[in-house]
Amino acid sequence: MSIINYASREIQFKIVYYGPALCGKTTNLDYIHKRINPENRGDLVSLATASDRTLFFDFLPLNAVVIKGFVTKFQLYTVPGQVIYNATRQLVLRSVDGVVFVADSQWEKMEENVESFKNLEENLAKQNASIDEIPYVLQYNKRDLENIAPVNYMEYVLNNRKKRVQSFEVVSSTGQNVFAALNAVSQILLHKFSKQGEVPQNSPAPVAIPVEPEVHAQEGAAL
Amino acid sequence: MNSIPCLTIEDVANLDGILGEFLQKAEAELTVVIDRGGNVISQFGDISVMDVTIIAALAAGSFAATKELARRIGEIEFNALYHQGNGNHIFMNSVDEDTIMITVFGKRSTVGLVRFYSTATAQRVSELLQSLQNNGGHGFTFDAADITAAPIFADAK
Repeated sequence: MSIINYASREIQFKIVYYGPALCGKTTNLDYIHKRINPENRGDLVSLATASDRTLFFDFLPLNAVVIKGFVTKFQLYTVPGQVIYNATRQLVLRSVDGVVFVADSQWEKMEENVESFKNLEENLAKQNASIDEIPYVLQYNKRDLENIAPVNYMEYVLNNRKKRVQSFEVVSSTGQNVFAALNAVSQILLHKFSKQGEVPQNSPAPVAIPVEPEVHAQEGAAL
Repeated sequence: MNSIPCLTIEDVANLDGILGEFLQKAEAELTVVIDRGGNVISQFGDISVMDVTIIAALAAGSFAATKELARRIGEIEFNALYHQGNGNHIFMNSVDEDTIMITVFGKRSTVGLVRFYSTATAQRVSELLQSLQNNGGHGFTFDAADITAAPIFADAK
């Protein structure tokens, strides 16, 4: 749950990076930590095993002035992706304000992506929250690899709810669209608390949603 | 329309009064009230050498992680946790089901003293937070036009 402190003029939001094991959640935070202005961030805290697998969570606090006169603190968390750590994922999800779901684009990971998304819905339900109420965006990560599913397919598999959300083709190791996804989820959750309630319609269109190919008049005539 | 729960300047002053008195009596360095999701609600004391945000996140995690341990011995959760260092220590106690209080103390104090005063302090903090909720709480909302249109975070390429 976000909270505002009028005395220090601060607002806090919690954003959780969620997804299957080894999909690149920690890599996202690592890139943000490296590339963001050091004045706007704290230390990256990583509770990992000796083999660099996330054991508990990674945590990165960010600051920005996004609402007139208030410092907004965004607290970024990752969850451990390994199936056995579900209790830990539930802990990290507590009081979540926004989610970045990181999907692995490789074909063989598709089942894990779906399982992880279902797991996110179940864990939110356990704290009486719903994915339909929480601002979230999708990342299709590892787009630089060869054995990857096309974006259309990933949209079909993961972005098939009544309300489609913004999705991004990401290469977290090089940073491609890492900031775009973070900015998108931040804007959505800020607007959720605004008097208007939603991001205005004239904001940029979702990045990875496929665009219908234009049918030229002449082609249509030939058919 | 959603609103953000907020602490007014007066609420923060009341909380600071309780926490300041506690620090003085317990001879501790820093105390932080957090919610169980790791958000800082209020803090008081010497914060110059510590990143309170990180302490809050880790403490919330630590508190929650021991819950399962408590269950194994038939408890719902541990009401208090103590981490002993060589010179600085952390004592955490439950305020209510949504809130935790963290106290950092050094050689000037002892865990017994901190524990003794923290119990009554937690009770007072709990009552204060409860009274805010009973009053309907304060909600903060803003106009969408107040939100910056520029990208919030920039990649410093």
